Amino acid sequence: MDWSSIVGIGLFASGLQLAMPTALAAVGETVSERAGVLNLGLEGMMLTAALASFVGAYYSGSATLGVLAGVVTGMAMGALMAVLSVLLKTDQVINGIVLVIFAGGVTAFAYERLFRHLGVPPEIDALPKLAIPGLFDIPWVGPVVFNQNALFYFSAGLALCAWPLLFRTRFGLAVRAAGETPAAADAAAVHVDRIRTVALLVCGAMAGLGGAVLIVGDVNLFGTYITAGRGWVALALVIFGRWNPLVVFGGALAFGIVDALQLRIQAASGGTSAAVPYEVFQALPYVLTLVVMVTATAAMRRSAQPSALGIPFRKGVSE
Amino acid sequence: MTGIASAQGAVASSVSRTGTYPAVAMSRIVKRFGAVTAVDGVDFDVRAGEIHGLLGENGAGKTTLMNILFGLHQPDSGTISFGGEPARLRDPHDAVARGVGMVHQHFMLVPTLTVAENVLLGERGGVALTRRTVSSMTEQLRACSERYGLDVDPATPVWRLSVGEQQRAEILRALYREAKVLVLDEPTASLTPFEAEQLLPRLRAMAAESTAVVFITHHLDEVITHTDRITVLRGGRHVATLQPGETSTRELARLMVGRDVSTTAVGIGVATPSESRRATRIAPGGSKMLEVEGLEARGPKGDVALHGVDMSVGAGEIVAIAGVEGNGQAELEEVLIGLRRATAGSVVLEGRAITTLGTAQRLSAGIGVIPSDRYRRGLVRALSIADNLVLDRIGEPPYGGALTISRRAIRTNAREQMERFSISVARPEQLAGMLSGGNAQRIVIARALSRDLRLLIAAQPSRGLDVGAMEFVWGQLDAARAKGVGILLLSTDLEEVFALADRCLVMYRGRVVASFGRSELERERIGLAMGGVTHDDAAHDDDDERRGSPR
Amino acid sequence: MTSIDVGAPVPATTAWQGYARAVTVWLGAALVAFALGGILVLIAGGSPVDSLRAMFQGALGSVFSVGQLLVLAIPLLVIGLGLAVAFRGRVYNIGAEGQLFMGALAGGALLLTIDGDGRLMIGLALVAGTVGGALWGAIVGVLRARWGVNEVISSLLLTYIALFIFGWAIRRPFGDPSAGNNLASRPIPEDTLLGTLPDLFVHYGLFVAIALVPIVGYVMARTPFGFRVRAMGLNLAATEVAGVRTGRLVIWLMLVSGGLAGLAGIIQVVGIEGRLDAGISQSYGFTAIVVALLGRLNAFGVLLAALFIAFLNAGGQAMSVEEGLPYSIVLAIQGVFVLLVLVADRFSRV
Repeated sequence: MDWSSIVGIGLFASGLQLAMPTALAAVGETVSERAGVLNLGLEGMMLTAALASFVGAYYSGSATLGVLAGVVTGMAMGALMAVLSVLLKTDQVINGIVLVIFAGGVTAFAYERLFRHLGVPPEIDALPKLAIPGLFDIPWVGPVVFNQNALFYFSAGLALCAWPLLFRTRFGLAVRAAGETPAAADAAAVHVDRIRTVALLVCGAMAGLGGAVLIVGDVNLFGTYITAGRGWVALALVIFGRWNPLVVFGGALAFGIVDALQLRIQAASGGTSAAVPYEVFQALPYVLTLVVMVTATAAMRRSAQPSALGIPFRKGVSE
Repeated sequence: MTGIASAQGAVASSVSRTGTYPAVAMSRIVKRFGAVTAVDGVDFDVRAGEIHGLLGENGAGKTTLMNILFGLHQPDSGTISFGGEPARLRDPHDAVARGVGMVHQHFMLVPTLTVAENVLLGERGGVALTRRTVSSMTEQLRACSERYGLDVDPATPVWRLSVGEQQRAEILRALYREAKVLVLDEPTASLTPFEAEQLLPRLRAMAAESTAVVFITHHLDEVITHTDRITVLRGGRHVATLQPGETSTRELARLMVGRDVSTTAVGIGVATPSESRRATRIAPGGSKMLEVEGLEARGPKGDVALHGVDMSVGAGEIVAIAGVEGNGQAELEEVLIGLRRATAGSVVLEGRAITTLGTAQRLSAGIGVIPSDRYRRGLVRALSIADNLVLDRIGEPPYGGALTISRRAIRTNAREQMERFSISVARPEQLAGMLSGGNAQRIVIARALSRDLRLLIAAQPSRGLDVGAMEFVWGQLDAARAKGVGILLLSTDLEEVFALADRCLVMYRGRVVASFGRSELERERIGLAMGGVTHDDAAHDDDDERRGSPR
Repeated sequence: MTSIDVGAPVPATTAWQGYARAVTVWLGAALVAFALGGILVLIAGGSPVDSLRAMFQGALGSVFSVGQLLVLAIPLLVIGLGLAVAFRGRVYNIGAEGQLFMGALAGGALLLTIDGDGRLMIGLALVAGTVGGALWGAIVGVLRARWGVNEVISSLLLTYIALFIFGWAIRRPFGDPSAGNNLASRPIPEDTLLGTLPDLFVHYGLFVAIALVPIVGYVMARTPFGFRVRAMGLNLAATEVAGVRTGRLVIWLMLVSGGLAGLAGIIQVVGIEGRLDAGISQSYGFTAIVVALLGRLNAFGVLLAALFIAFLNAGGQAMSVEEGLPYSIVLAIQGVFVLLVLVADRFSRV
């Protein structure tokens, strides 16, 4: 196997591109979980947003509108989750599962309804790569990071804003308080349910952007379950990153590189007749995620998990 | 019903002799939570410069009333006025704006944030929270802390502070916000007697600066000695408002409870343990039921919670572990029950090592448990009383075999236990979550004591219970001891310790720092130990570990 | 996720009131879902009335179609029962699909490698399938019991992994070269196929599925195991303090739900497909989650829910053929329905 052709600039560059949807969703989920809401519907949010962005880009011809559609749809799903988990205060795990099922059904129907008549699966135009002058010339890093499409740059910038959002704004302070000790936040006149709703909207928007990036920035078409478990991987990454958005983001990027690596090895090793079955490589990212999750959970000596995660807030209970 | 006219009328009636309006007056406040009326038409007022004690049992409505004053709850009816001016408090912001500051019984601090960040949490301000803003707040708080002698470092994350320091941080927050009405909810509950003694003069100093202080407590001795006026609540209603000089602890006890009660039960600060309730018993310390050596464990955040605990409990002996909450008792409870793994040391039950055994095995080995949090760890609220009573033995005959359950046996057992433990509820099918605190605790105790026990671990068994339930619990523990069960009592309530203990150990910062026999039980010495000051400490100087020295 | 919601409203009802509420919730949600389905049909350019008729006709119109409905219901029922048990204990096994495939693989591998008397082999295969699914599920259980790993994420990741393993297995060791592009294994021996009921054309797996209903119902309601599972699902910490070995219980729940999923998988192999291929499951593992939730986690409810969902799917297929509408309407209705039931359930609990 020709390793030199596999490992190289191309690997890392495509790895980053591959990683971005998951990274966005993971960062969004970090915000939500920091506020104390477990959003297991991430996969469903990404999927619906993916469809919306595809539809938007296809019919309008504009990638920007497609992305916008995706973000708005994601936020709408976030609002739906807020109604379930924050307003109605039903079991957050079940809410997430139901959301994913709901999203699967609705997107399948909508896609078929809109595009079945075409016969051939429709595609949208790919976004051109924009090499950033100057930065592109940095050895090693330049061609990898600064030769992506515009959407990538935008997404990366947005995702990196999550850290200052959580740690350098009053909103972020309220979020962290609501997820850790909601009673104390309440006593400080922080409206816990409202903060959690906003956090879910942020999460939905990020997941929506992730879905949009997947479609508009990467694969340029839609299919049922096109998100292929990225939402679930994102959830695992939040645990791995110990709820620190920067570590989560970094972890997602690293994961993307492994994913890209696996694809290349698959291709290079000769496909179906290879000695090592290609399924091994397909499974690799998931096995890796599993291992990462287990080690992160088991090795957590100091529990970084927000103490109120998954528990709906009800006033005046402790009496 | 609550028009301006009646509000002003109510206010007028609480005007002091000098003709000025009280700092705050609450009038005909009613608050219901579902079917429960927590506050039933209560009038309450405080004057500037006064320390006003708010007295009542657990569940009398004191905390709810003050939470309303702090804007945490909205009253169903009634008015609140400040200096004669009616006001509506929609949330704590409004309350703070009116000068109300509250130090809650269960601290309203976020452990992962620093003190300064906690204060910033409640402040209105711009979107950005720069490092400069935080450090500016930190400095301001530091200055305020020095000014009032509170000795709190605002840059420390709250989880690193001791319980006493956390309370001072809460007070700091209230003072920083220039509270004109400072409400303290059970302030001495989490303090060592020593720290409590330091707190009360501080309150006097604040009152001298015209702050109105409200002091919620159920400790009669504190209220008689340190307040200017006392209001007693019972069952959500206002019972009396009197001057400390005009009354006695006995009368206050009667007002609080509604009947004459043994003064020990309501905590009159008896310095020597009462002998009156001690039934005849087996001489304690016969065979060793429990031996713990060098026990070490970590807490939930990874910090070391137990630093090598040594102790033992004999048959028919009640060993109490006193100490302010947060010194390792919770972790000790969890390790002994089997919910938390010890990182070092051994636990031996009647000569048999059980250090590595799980909870199920410990229960079968003869350990009974009354957990400290009855709703989280004691009962399954959505199951019936009957089901809860057999949760630990459902697979055993007669309640069930390998593949069957006998509903009849469960029901019979429930009726028996409800009778025996005076659980005053109609049907055993009633869901446990609908019970009062006292009844819920009775179920927990019934289940624990209806087995053949060698050792009983009772953690905060009478916390949050009214006097009647408290007396019941103490009676049950006494009876168990008389049967030869070894009892380990973890309690933050010194009255409970004095009433029950044969020996008393004091835990401080994860270690047992002092041990007292029954005849040595003495408030001041135990109090000092709870604060980390013991005889043999002259050399170690625990004080060096603490930020700041006692005054 | 060891958080406990201590403040959750405690239902103030007797058992009968609970049943009455459940039925009302169901019916209400069903009505709304059908109404919504009608709207979706309109959107898709069809006629709601005709579609509804086509649905009923297609699902229940003939003996054969009823048989097909039952065939569809069998895996949903078997898996759904297992999930209902697990969910009762708040062990959220989302990986039933993977356990299904692993069970099918285990049983199928046995049939393809060992020769023996047909009846005997079927029996052994069923056992192997159950064991295969159970062990795959047990991984999730152990991860949670031992290291506190979130079972939703781990079971899903294992599902993806299982699908890849299965894909490899039917490509390489058990592959059928003549299958061409459609990946499938060699067919299993003729005599190891399950027979079918004469008129209904339903395989004997039906009896297995039906027999499981009272068994699971009994276990949940009248055994110490069921008692402990329910308690654990309501309050993990209190159940632990009461001396129940919750870690072991978690693993048992994964063994049971994984085993039943595996059983469903092997039944699909010997009852319908006759070989190992992707067709042994049409997302049954995921749809069974809906079935379990709709059935409100009790055995009889799951039976009804399985029949209902099978009806929706079978009728939906017929409807899409007849009326030319996308089959995915059914998926959409299912999704909306389960959402509605969730919401309605919450309101019925006041």
